[in-house]
Amino acid sequence: MSNLVVLPILIPLFFGAMFVFFHNKLAAVRLMSFVVLLINTATAIFIVYEVYSKGALILETGGWKAPYGIILIADKLSSLLILTTNIIALAACVYAGATLDEEREKHYFYTLFLILIAGVSGAFLTGDLFNLFVFFEVLLMASYSLIVLGATKVQLRESIKYVLLNLFSSMLFVTTVAFLYSVTGTVNMAQLAERVGEIQQKGVLTSIAILLFVVFATKGALFPLYFWLPKSYTAPPSVISALFGALLTKVGIYSILRVFSLIFVYKLETTHAFFLLLAGFTLIFGVIGALSTHNVKLIIAYNIIPAIGFMLLGIGTFSAESLAGTIYYLVHDMIIKAALFFLAGILVYIAGTSDLRKMGGYIKGYPLVGWMFFLSALVLAGIPPFSGFIGKLLLLKGAFAEKHYLVAAIGLGCSLLILLSIIRIFIMAFWGEQKEGKKIKLKRGMVIPPLALLCFSIFLGIGAEWVYPHIQSIADGLANPSQYINEVLKAR
Amino acid sequence: MFLYYIALPFIAAFLLFLFSRSLSKTFHTGWLVAIVPFVLFILFLTNSSEISEGQPVASLTNWIPSMGIQLSFYLDGLSLLFTLLITGIGFLVVLYSVFYLSKKENLIHFYIYLLLFMGSMLGLVMSDNLFVLYTFWEFTSISSFLLIGFWSHRARSVYGALKSMMITVFGGLCMLGGFLLLWVATDTTSIREIISQKEELMASPLFMPILLLVLLGAFSKSAQFPFHTWLPDAMEAPTPVSAYLHSATMVKAGIYLVARLSLLFSGSDLFFLCVSGFGLVTLCWGSFMAVRQTDLKGILAFSTISQLGMIMSMLGFGSEAAIFAAVFHIFNHATFKGSLFMVAGIVDHETGTRDIRKLGGLMTFMPITATLAFFGTFSMAGFPLPIFNGFLSKEMFFDASLQTASPSGLARQTAPLFPYLAVLGSIFTFVYSMYLFFGTFRGKVQLHQLEKKPHEAPFGMLIPPFLLVCFIVVIGVLPNLINERLLAPAAGAIAGNSIHIHVAFWHGIKPPLIMSLIVVTAGALLFVFKRYWEIIYRYLPGKLSADKAYQAFLNRLLRAAKKITGSYMTGSLSLYLAIIVLFLVCVTAGMMAVTGGFAFSTADLSPVKWPEVITGVSMLIAAVATIFMKRRIAAVIVIGVVGYGLSLLFVLFRAPDLALTQLIIETVTVVLFLLCFSHLPVMKPNSKPLRSRVADVLISLAAGTLITLVAISSHSSKWFQPISDYFVKTSYSLGGGKNIVNVILVDFRGLDTMFEITVLGLAALGIYGMIKIRLRKKGGMEQ
Amino acid sequence: MEILMCILGGALFAAGIYLLLQRQLLRIILGTALVSHGAHLLILTMGKLNRGAPPVLGEGIGHYTDPLPQALILTSIVISFGVTSFLLVLAYRAYQKNRTDMMDQLRGTEDE
Repeated sequence: MSNLVVLPILIPLFFGAMFVFFHNKLAAVRLMSFVVLLINTATAIFIVYEVYSKGALILETGGWKAPYGIILIADKLSSLLILTTNIIALAACVYAGATLDEEREKHYFYTLFLILIAGVSGAFLTGDLFNLFVFFEVLLMASYSLIVLGATKVQLRESIKYVLLNLFSSMLFVTTVAFLYSVTGTVNMAQLAERVGEIQQKGVLTSIAILLFVVFATKGALFPLYFWLPKSYTAPPSVISALFGALLTKVGIYSILRVFSLIFVYKLETTHAFFLLLAGFTLIFGVIGALSTHNVKLIIAYNIIPAIGFMLLGIGTFSAESLAGTIYYLVHDMIIKAALFFLAGILVYIAGTSDLRKMGGYIKGYPLVGWMFFLSALVLAGIPPFSGFIGKLLLLKGAFAEKHYLVAAIGLGCSLLILLSIIRIFIMAFWGEQKEGKKIKLKRGMVIPPLALLCFSIFLGIGAEWVYPHIQSIADGLANPSQYINEVLKAR
Repeated sequence: MFLYYIALPFIAAFLLFLFSRSLSKTFHTGWLVAIVPFVLFILFLTNSSEISEGQPVASLTNWIPSMGIQLSFYLDGLSLLFTLLITGIGFLVVLYSVFYLSKKENLIHFYIYLLLFMGSMLGLVMSDNLFVLYTFWEFTSISSFLLIGFWSHRARSVYGALKSMMITVFGGLCMLGGFLLLWVATDTTSIREIISQKEELMASPLFMPILLLVLLGAFSKSAQFPFHTWLPDAMEAPTPVSAYLHSATMVKAGIYLVARLSLLFSGSDLFFLCVSGFGLVTLCWGSFMAVRQTDLKGILAFSTISQLGMIMSMLGFGSEAAIFAAVFHIFNHATFKGSLFMVAGIVDHETGTRDIRKLGGLMTFMPITATLAFFGTFSMAGFPLPIFNGFLSKEMFFDASLQTASPSGLARQTAPLFPYLAVLGSIFTFVYSMYLFFGTFRGKVQLHQLEKKPHEAPFGMLIPPFLLVCFIVVIGVLPNLINERLLAPAAGAIAGNSIHIHVAFWHGIKPPLIMSLIVVTAGALLFVFKRYWEIIYRYLPGKLSADKAYQAFLNRLLRAAKKITGSYMTGSLSLYLAIIVLFLVCVTAGMMAVTGGFAFSTADLSPVKWPEVITGVSMLIAAVATIFMKRRIAAVIVIGVVGYGLSLLFVLFRAPDLALTQLIIETVTVVLFLLCFSHLPVMKPNSKPLRSRVADVLISLAAGTLITLVAISSHSSKWFQPISDYFVKTSYSLGGGKNIVNVILVDFRGLDTMFEITVLGLAALGIYGMIKIRLRKKGGMEQ
Repeated sequence: MEILMCILGGALFAAGIYLLLQRQLLRIILGTALVSHGAHLLILTMGKLNRGAPPVLGEGIGHYTDPLPQALILTSIVISFGVTSFLLVLAYRAYQKNRTDMMDQLRGTEDE
């Protein structure tokens, strides 16, 4: 029992709500948001420390013991993701202050932003399937408001599609939870795992599992369910795209990872084999999308998809090694996607357009931005010794070891095309003939967030020895769910 | 220890970056940079005596030991040869660049890239760990990309840079695949340990894919046919770079890899066939195409391709003599090709052009350069005089092609072809060497074609090629000078046992000498009558060239990407939704069928009662009617019927709280609908064509059926006691409330309720923002 | 009875999905309402129907209907209400700005 667990949800929620009343005092709100996130990050660091030294932290909300009340549980995986989320949120907060127009900021950007973080944290922390639905709704509702914030033509158009598709999948989500409740009589994830294990996931359970997978896959942007993503993620300002790209889809893939490593692990040869197939398609189609356009933000948005494919590849392979790869890749991708969206935002700001064909020669005027783009291309493509490589290496080794040669080969091939898609931005925007246009001064708040995230990502690669053993222990925990179940249900 | 050697260039690059502003403009940065390779050269030289006695030096530092990735470096004869080449030629190239590049260029960038490359290359040839090797391998590709694109405003540079990166990174990824398989098969990442498991590996089914993947990596890096196409375009790099990366060092990384792993692969027919076969084809094709080029650096690029092919083929032959010859030629090639690139740079620098059609007769203007070029070209041609080191290794190559290691099967049948290919390739090598020398330095002067009046190059620029030419001659005269110290240990490291071969100019009249004579005679004839047969180049199918193939591939890829993506990313909501629903139906139905998920049991059902059935049926009718409504108000009314029907059902099914809530919410929703719909345009008839309407019906029916089936199955599979019994039991005693649902909402699952309210609040904020916000024209950065 | 309710739930889903597949925004919004009704009905059905008294504790009642699905539905109803009202305003604003309520005219061009 530890009240610490709820803090990453409560702190942003409380202050987010407070800011509604001060929304016109922008300077104060900006500063306060940063401070709040700083505190929240410190809390997250403390939680990580506690979890890694003493084991999972569990909060039985309202004092109701599992499986009857709602359980919040910070295990190694959740606490790591909470920390990553907060780091990204900090960067986004600085970047928002430098890039967003005051109108948007005044119309509750910071409130929506903080509650989005609360929702994401909740989704990572909860140990209850229906509560997961509720946190999904919190983060989705915040994202609906964020995506349309500014109410431009494009935003309105894309957000309608976004809201409608998510609404449909949310309804499917509750229905599926109900099906699961009917069969197992519970919505607590640990007890679900226990009960599904008892009957070896027989009968209708696999079908329900796959329904749940489809729900998560729609949020997580897997083939062929991601079609809504690229356009709607690029409609709002870059800082919002960055939050979406870094956090929202990752909640989907996290849920798949959690549910299909904890609960539905008894029909691996059907479910997880199917994931591998989907992973292959997701990789291919995502990267093809990234090559199809000259719109900088769209290229980055499409690149979300093959990354998800990589993560699903690890879940599908389902060995301790490949799961570690998935987690490494997850953390890496959250960081680098945020950085890339930030960079794309700067580029659009410099060029006044997002069309690559109208850019060129910016390396002279903006060397720092150029080299950051270059580095992030290498990071994203998984060139060693950066963070993408470590994750990819684990994933591919896992796949090779389990004899999934084809999908591993697709993964390798896609790495090349990912590199091409981002290096194209570098070549077209920063090399080539210099385009006319007066030099624009970049604010520090624009440049520092992507720089900080990039440094972090490079650390994740070069300093892998400090990170990898922890991630390996997470993966071992996932591959062996009884520990999680016992910890949650021990009070019974 | 070696870690610091390798780190030195990286640290130097970093310092250069830090002090880029404060470096004085009065002297050339290159002078400072030259210290690095010079110091390293001396350091490596001091290690050479131990190594030539057959004692490799190793050093180990932990990087990611828990993943088996360690900075394990290893200096044996082979690595030593490469490190000396990298640092030695590196030093000369930096020296040369001091005179070649003016201070106006972005020197800091140039030298940072160059130092990055130098460090990566050193790391590459010394790594014992597969993945550290791969890391440095990719780094050489990246630094090469930056160096080729150094003049980034030129479209050709950018094209060449991207092309080289795509092809070498492609190869690198193949190699990574091979390395991963090696790791899986042997459970170690140390190259030495892998080689010690050769027997088990040869028997493994993974052996062939490993071999092919690793070779793909090596071939693409070392510009073997058909991956050679990136090298000519890489000539857009400043000439010092071409002299360094694209002749002496980086392109030899593939050779190094094959040499390093040949202990592992040797003895397999596939290795023999691939390496010798592709090597010889590359030799012939490269030399044949070199004759066609008009750019000095173009000739040299194709010449490099062909020479690399020759070295590669010798590694494939696999006999001790062949391996020794390969090592010897690696060294010789570095000397003559390095000097020739520098000469080409001098010509470019002093005349303003590299187009051989505009050049000629430069002998009188630049006699020293011409002399240097003479030694370079004739050594490259393998001219039989004891002052050209190229001849010595060329003859050993002929000898080796006649006595290949004893293969079996298909390999045995093709082996007799090899000497012919070797001679053929060498004839053209002779032709382009002559063409290069005579075309540039002899013949008519065409001063009007030149941008500048040609004159001899500055002294400093001549020194580096002069030093390299000294090696050509000295080795030519005293071929065994570096044999024991450098070549024999290198060859020994490749073959795995010590090799001692005495190099001599005269062996008596034996087949290799005859082959050399044939080459010289035929080559000279072909060169003299070049203009009569040149015409055949016109008949070469242009579309089949590797460059065209690359371009076509890239263009097709991008076009296909656009087309494929455009075909489904239509922005149409109904398409996206249809796909999602279809996917849902197919996958779930499939899973149901595969896992036998359907269940139907009537055992535990409540009796059918009329009020409920009537309510249900009217809801059904209303729901279907919604589809056909033609007026907004009517649609809202029927949807209201469904909603109120639902709350009636809640009443009937004993859920009073639900019924109340549903009633209120339905009322508010209906009002909202009315409000909103009055602002929206009137209902239009369904404009979809009949075909897609039928599809819509089928999709929605399928989805409905499926959900019904899963629902029924779920209901028929109640295998556990629900947890809600606990709520019933403790609602009052612990929760203090009699309305269980309420207690659940505010107590047992209070968190849900709290965030449900948050959602409502968020919706309100969002709505308020959406209505109120009016962006100012130039408010934000992206408007 | 449960079987019938499952069928009704499925039918509501089917009708809702059909409407969601239409082009006019108005119909699509109606579709979302039907889908959420279907979902809520199915949740209720997944607890057993008509067993025991309404879940309000009283004297001498031994058996109550399963209260948990009801609680879940309540949460879900409120949430869908929030989303629906947001969607309605969104639709109104989108129509105002884009001057059309037909989704096939709201596709957007390729490079924006």
